[in-house]
Order: sequence, then C-alpha cells, then structure tokens
Amino acid sequence: LCLGTTRNNFEGKKVIHLEYEAYTSMAETEIKKICRDVRQKWPSVKHIAVHHRLGLVPITEASVIISVSSPYRAESLEAVMYCINTLKASVPIWKKEIYEDKYSWKENKECFWENSEK
Amino acid sequence: FSSGRRRHREPAAEGCPPGDGGSMRCQQVSVLYFARSAELAGLRSETLSVPRQITSLQLWEEIVKVHPRLAVIRDQVVFAVQQEYVLLGDQLLVLQPGDEVAIIPPISGG
Repeated sequence: LCLGTTRNNFEGKKVIHLEYEAYTSMAETEIKKICRDVRQKWPSVKHIAVHHRLGLVPITEASVIISVSSPYRAESLEAVMYCINTLKASVPIWKKEIYEDKYSWKENKECFWENSEK
Repeated sequence: FSSGRRRHREPAAEGCPPGDGGSMRCQQVSVLYFARSAELAGLRSETLSVPRQITSLQLWEEIVKVHPRLAVIRDQVVFAVQQEYVLLGDQLLVLQPGDEVAIIPPISGG
C-alpha cells in the first residue's frame, strides 16, 4: 500500500492546500497501462487499486493511494513502487501548490520528457 | 511514443487559409489546454483548423500563432495526439477531423 499525503511546507513556504487537475480520459488509460504492465511483470499479483484525488486536497490528507495484493510480499512491494514511479513519470495529472501569497505548478523529476530534452 | 501514424511523401502543408476547415489539406482538430498552458492560453479547449499533415513542431507553431503567450513554455511541453505522447520536433502527424491534441506541461501527479 502506498499512500501519498500532502506536506505542509515547501522550501520554507507554508503550503495552504493542493489542487490537482487531470486529462482524465488519458490518465485513466495510462493507469490501465500501468496495471497491465504490473500483471505482466509480477504474475502473482491478485488485485490492484489506484486512486487519485482531483480538485482541492487539504494538507495532511492523502491525494493518491496505490494498493497491490499478492501471496508474496516482495512482489507486491515492488509492484507498488513500480506503480507510483510510473504514475509520476507518465500519467497526465498536474499539481498546484497554493501558498499564502502565491502558487506554483509542480513538476515531477520523473516526468519522462523533462529529462530527455535537455 | 507514437512513431507517426502514416508516412507520406508529400511535404507538410504550410498553413490553413481562413475558412478552409473543410478542405482536403486542413483539418479541424480539438485542442485541449492543461495546467500552466491553460493559464497562458486563457482557455481550456477550442477547435483549430490546422494542416492535415504537419510536424509536431509546426503544429506547436500554429498554436502559438493563436496564443503567443504559450511561447514561454515551449521547452517544457509535449503533445498528446489522440492520447499518445508526441515530443515537439520532426515527427510527422497525419490528423483526422476531430482528432484531440492536448498540450501537456510537465506532469506532477502522485
């Protein structure tokens, strides 16, 4: 199980809350691709659940949850890591951090084209 | 990545004259804007008439003609054409009427 919860600060600035938006239809397709990959790589996996909140998410609350079940704990843990890492690299969801006086669109370091174009 | 749906010999068309939405050389596509690109363009979606065959970089340039403020994020964005990621560059696109083209700024899910 991986539960992503919001930190209340970034570089000394106080985070008031997060806002998420998504290219919903494509995000669902990309998440389904991740699930298919998981089943190919770890055939023992039984159930997979990926849930991502959209809109306003207050601090301390969870914005993403990934759950994988398998008879083998090593495989379920590896599959969860794969899901969250691949989600961060390829699923079209965007996070805006709202501070007291301004906001900032975040960028995942995993974002696959940010690394390849420089 | 998509490697381009079809390869043709003819060069990409130069531009779409106004009112040419229904011709053989131009197509109406649905353009979607997200996150920072939606803020810069000032809207979330619109229909644009673009050349039917066009490189991904040329398509970006057509969109920037309509929304010049988008130029500042050129080095950070990719497209999703019919929900397949496409880098800005020489990749030749063959667009069908109503195809969905999304501007994708750096993602930050999870």
